[in-house]
Amino acid sequence: MKGIFSVLVENRDGVLSAVSGLFARRGFNIDTLAVGETDDHEISSMTITSTGDQRTIDQIEKQLNKNVDVIKVRRLTEARSVCLEMILTKVSYSATTRSSLIETCQMCGAKIIKAAPKYMLLEFHADPEAVEDFIQLVRPYGIIEIQRTGTIAMEK
Amino acid sequence: MKLVGSEVLMECLLEQGVDVVFGYPGGTVLNVYDSLVKYKGRINHYLTAHEQGASHAADGYARSTGKVGVVFATSGPGATNLTTGVATAYMDSSPVVFISCNVAENLIGKDSFQEVDSTGVMLPITKCNFQITDVDKLASTVRKAFAIARSGRPGPVFIDILKNVTAEETEYEFVPRAEHKEKGLLEAIYERNMPDMQKPAIDEEDIDKLVSMIEESKKPMLICGGGVVRGRAHEEFNYFANLIDSPTAVTVMGGGGINGRNPLVTGMIGMHGSQASNIACNECDILIAVGCRFSDRVALDPETFASQAKIVHIDIDRSEINKNVRTDHHIVGDAKEVLRMLNERLSQQDHSEWKKFVFSYPTETKYDEGGETLNPKQVCDTIAKLMPMDTIVSTDVGQHQMWAIQHFHFDYPGQLITSGGFGTMGFGLGAAIGAKVGNPDKSVILVAGDGSFRMNCNELTTVQYYGLPIIIFVFNNQTLGMVRQWQNLIYHKNFSQSDMDRGPDFVKLADAYGLKGYRVNNQKDLEIAIEEAKASGEGCVIDCVLDIDEMVRPMVGGGSHITDFMKI
Repeated sequence: MKGIFSVLVENRDGVLSAVSGLFARRGFNIDTLAVGETDDHEISSMTITSTGDQRTIDQIEKQLNKNVDVIKVRRLTEARSVCLEMILTKVSYSATTRSSLIETCQMCGAKIIKAAPKYMLLEFHADPEAVEDFIQLVRPYGIIEIQRTGTIAMEK
Repeated sequence: MKLVGSEVLMECLLEQGVDVVFGYPGGTVLNVYDSLVKYKGRINHYLTAHEQGASHAADGYARSTGKVGVVFATSGPGATNLTTGVATAYMDSSPVVFISCNVAENLIGKDSFQEVDSTGVMLPITKCNFQITDVDKLASTVRKAFAIARSGRPGPVFIDILKNVTAEETEYEFVPRAEHKEKGLLEAIYERNMPDMQKPAIDEEDIDKLVSMIEESKKPMLICGGGVVRGRAHEEFNYFANLIDSPTAVTVMGGGGINGRNPLVTGMIGMHGSQASNIACNECDILIAVGCRFSDRVALDPETFASQAKIVHIDIDRSEINKNVRTDHHIVGDAKEVLRMLNERLSQQDHSEWKKFVFSYPTETKYDEGGETLNPKQVCDTIAKLMPMDTIVSTDVGQHQMWAIQHFHFDYPGQLITSGGFGTMGFGLGAAIGAKVGNPDKSVILVAGDGSFRMNCNELTTVQYYGLPIIIFVFNNQTLGMVRQWQNLIYHKNFSQSDMDRGPDFVKLADAYGLKGYRVNNQKDLEIAIEEAKASGEGCVIDCVLDIDEMVRPMVGGGSHITDFMKI
């Protein structure tokens, strides 16, 4: 199963490595990790997604809670929260594929930030599943580079 | 009041009631050692032979007194030499604050002399760690570190102070520890409601549910774990066991959590558990584990462990619930409080039939008597007979550790000091030093193996210099006994690199450190040596010669069913 954790942590040195180290040490997976400051600059917010059986996901929550630098752990479900991920990608095109690539972008709601002679720089954000689909759709054109933010999530 | 950083540190230790520090000086920590002179008489520093020795000493001090142990060390190798001691304290939930200094701010990150990312190194083996780069935050960080080390499930906290911070001035006001919380000095950590900072509120419904489960049970079994010892809940636990009239197994860390002579005690449980403990655990209908984490050395095979029983887990650390073994009911809370609530609600039970069954199996391992050479039980029994009942026993790790735990009776928390979780060979001597410093009125002995003792015997110099009357028993079988035992049973007697057929001569070694040494081969010589050692009031080494093929019995292989005893 998938676990989505929204975690408030102290914004100080070493906290990110403490949290990621916890996952490594206990053999938990990190699928995605997104970190940023909150409105209070002493507190950062992390969204961590992970996969594992029920017991593992429960353990992750408990172990996160045990960390002294962790202020609050919230477990989110896909059904009751908004999950978003953003990607930037450079996709190559030729004269023959150009119009179909533009069409794909329009269909999916991706933004063409730059059209260079050999590639387009695209921006796309959506729920993680739709992001995966979009990547599959543009892959045949040739992905030169891709950057993903990882999932951020919030309870509805 | 204006003070420099290193003086603020001293004042903060005094706020916490710390009067003993173990440590070793070096370049970056020199300002701290400079200030130490000013605080002479109020903060007593014990200089060890090695930072590792200091780390174990502070741990032994903490375990035996229930107070927080404190260590000073320098940067780089000073800090990394602490790591084994930090990990040992972490695995056994012992409250120790480790303080090291790092290179000055302008040298950080430049691969400077004796620089290491100490907080990075300590990350996975501490409850929490801090690097202090601002002298104005020094006092608040030290206060926080002590609060974290002793709260909830205790454990080590590491503080790294930059050298320039120890020399810079700041405004400081002395606030005794008792007032830290009410004066809002720990506000941030309490306000944010960190689960581990406060004792979890105990759910009354959970208590009532357990009471009815106990009353319905015909075949109850208890496990006394290290949490009972750390929580100093031995009186409540003893009363609880008597009230339920339940056989009680004791883990390695649980020694002293129940009166060792209580007739309900079935002995150790797990890999080297007694037949009574392991069989009862398999046959019981309810198994109540208090402050125990069902480690692989206790539960062995988590899938078949206590398969006929409803497993109930009482622990202060929520993350222990369902971590290793699936439980049917649990109570998260402080052992002392949970047991007190249970004791108030429970009526006296009677399980004579069940006890008759359990105690038809041996609780202790039998040895042939009257042999010419010493056997482990004989050594333990002789020590127990001649030393005061409340003697603190520190151990190293290996066969001798198991023998000591199997054959001594521990009656109160802190009487047994042993590295149960991390299994640190070389732990015992440092720990015994710490225990003796913390308990000057009690007798302290070390039970070591020849392999373990060899690792950190440099601390004999500390024993001698500070005149600590620690009697050191080396269970000398000229081999890494536990390794040999596994090689014997599992590796077809292929004794690879386990023979200790080499020096030093421990009697001469003791002599070189200015201590008396004895070598004993039989009961009579052992008795004479102990009596002489007691009368001398000084530390000494008693080298007890044992047979190389002596084994720890019984034994269940790792990951096996708990009653699957090996044929030894």
